[in-house]
Amino acid sequence: MIHIQNLHLSLPGFALKDINLDIETGDFFALIGPTGAGKSLILEAMLGMLPMDSGRILLEDRDITSVVPEKRGLGIVYQDYALFPHLNVRKNILYGIKYHNLDPNQVAEQFDFLVHQLGIAKLLHRYPGTLSGGEKQRVALARALILRPSALLLDEPLSALDPVLKEEIKDLLRTIHQELSMTIIMVSHSFSDVFYLANKVAILKDGRIRQQGSVNDVFEHPNSRFTAGFVGMRNILRAGIRDNRGLVEKLAITLPPGADSSGKYLAIRPEDICPLTSGHNGFENTFSGTITHIAHQGFYFDIWMTIEGVKFQAVWDKNYVLEHDIRPGKELEVGFYADKVRVLGQ
Amino acid sequence: MGIRINTFSWSLALLSLPLIALIVLPLTKMVFTPTLADLWESLQDPLVVGTIGRSLGTALAAALICFIFGTPLAYLMARKHFPGKSVVEAVIDLPIMIPHPVIGIAILSLAGRNHPIGRFLADMGIEVMGTLTGIIAVLTFVGMPFYINTVKAGFEAIPERLENVSRSLGASMCATFFRITFPLAWRSIMLGMIMCTARAISEFGAVIIVAYHPMTAPVLIYERFTAYGLKYSQPVSVWLIGVSLVLFVGMRFFSRPGREAA
Repeated sequence: MIHIQNLHLSLPGFALKDINLDIETGDFFALIGPTGAGKSLILEAMLGMLPMDSGRILLEDRDITSVVPEKRGLGIVYQDYALFPHLNVRKNILYGIKYHNLDPNQVAEQFDFLVHQLGIAKLLHRYPGTLSGGEKQRVALARALILRPSALLLDEPLSALDPVLKEEIKDLLRTIHQELSMTIIMVSHSFSDVFYLANKVAILKDGRIRQQGSVNDVFEHPNSRFTAGFVGMRNILRAGIRDNRGLVEKLAITLPPGADSSGKYLAIRPEDICPLTSGHNGFENTFSGTITHIAHQGFYFDIWMTIEGVKFQAVWDKNYVLEHDIRPGKELEVGFYADKVRVLGQ
Repeated sequence: MGIRINTFSWSLALLSLPLIALIVLPLTKMVFTPTLADLWESLQDPLVVGTIGRSLGTALAAALICFIFGTPLAYLMARKHFPGKSVVEAVIDLPIMIPHPVIGIAILSLAGRNHPIGRFLADMGIEVMGTLTGIIAVLTFVGMPFYINTVKAGFEAIPERLENVSRSLGASMCATFFRITFPLAWRSIMLGMIMCTARAISEFGAVIIVAYHPMTAPVLIYERFTAYGLKYSQPVSVWLIGVSLVLFVGMRFFSRPGREAA
């Protein structure tokens, strides 16, 4: 288990404030937030590379706050892989072995296992400068994993990869997490990556944690406009709430039972706003809308519409849009369930 | 298809020519003025060979001192932030700005019997005035900024993340320096030593204050010029340039990029 308690860390022009995280053994924990939120700084603080103003870091009940980085037992893989350019792949992977009291037979076994698992057996004599991004990523993972760290820290491991390679590495990370039962803490700015990989998440903004919990919980129940926007709720509307209905300008939206009457905003996912078809007859909210513009995104369409002067964004299936000739100016009936509307206080 | 003439690039090239000419023309003239017989004759002169050897030896000694003491300082300046860092940077650059005879005078005033350090050195049997020690001291003084600034830039070019990863893998700061930082900065260190040696070999103003004798090559060239004229100073100058060139080409050869840079 890793506990970060009341972490405060100041740098010129930026500070991490009041960071508290509880990461269970075997968790795939994601730290997400916009650029400059302080996500990577938390990893640096965990590694011991940055001096903390206050707070504690506990690793399996051992206080490592004052422990030097080389004794913490944490592995790191950076976005740019940080392979040692003057050492070949084999020497990169085995770099840390001499600092750990490991059985040579076990090391050899683990080396063979990782090299084959990660598909880098043919690269062992090559230098990092000759490797592709995906190959570097695999070598960096092998180098960190061979020491069996207490936790593996990943600093934006997917953001420098092309889409095909990204899917490959995502699968690889999931396999590593499952097969090695490794605790992984990953920094990312993409909620879709987090949704695929992680079971827990903390969302940061301006050096503070805005929300944390299970990925599903945060995805379904964002606690603020910022979090809602970050997890993909593109329709965030200022509303007055009365009698379990939200009033957005002249538009009255039926809310789920027991909705917080002190709420000030409504948030609706674009994929929850559906065109009315013969099969859909259970929506509590049905409206007539006018399409303003559409954007082809490959597998789906982004649809923008106005409903009684209020702008909404929806995501619709490509086949539906093409078959029903959805285009700007077209009027059609749309609907969404009351329990898909989130009421936010801030 | 016609050749595209880039007016801007040609203008840049034309404007660059006067400076290139300023360097190349006098040196070419000097190198090709002495006859082969003059050059051979000067090579038979033990004084010429001795002074060139002394110049090389003292310059390399100064570079070695900069390597030993300047490398830690360059690393500190590249990696650490501390109050007064800009003052330290200014101090490092001072020798570039001070007139070089002043450097000689400053070293002598510190190493003289009127100063406690001078008395301490004398008690230890170390003489500065008119000795190789004095020459090496002033050469280190004038060459040090070139070494430190070059090596500092080399350290800065190495991503700190490499050091962070090394430490996360169990290496101490010291082990990280010697296994990661130093090997990656090696070419910058060699370049720094080349810069320092080059600056030291050419030093005249500070050396002549501290030690007219034992004589270095620039002092001999000056003496030959003032005593016998241009013709007698040129062969020594050509040999000094030639030997320096061989040295620098050799140092660059050994510090060339290896296969890992592929």
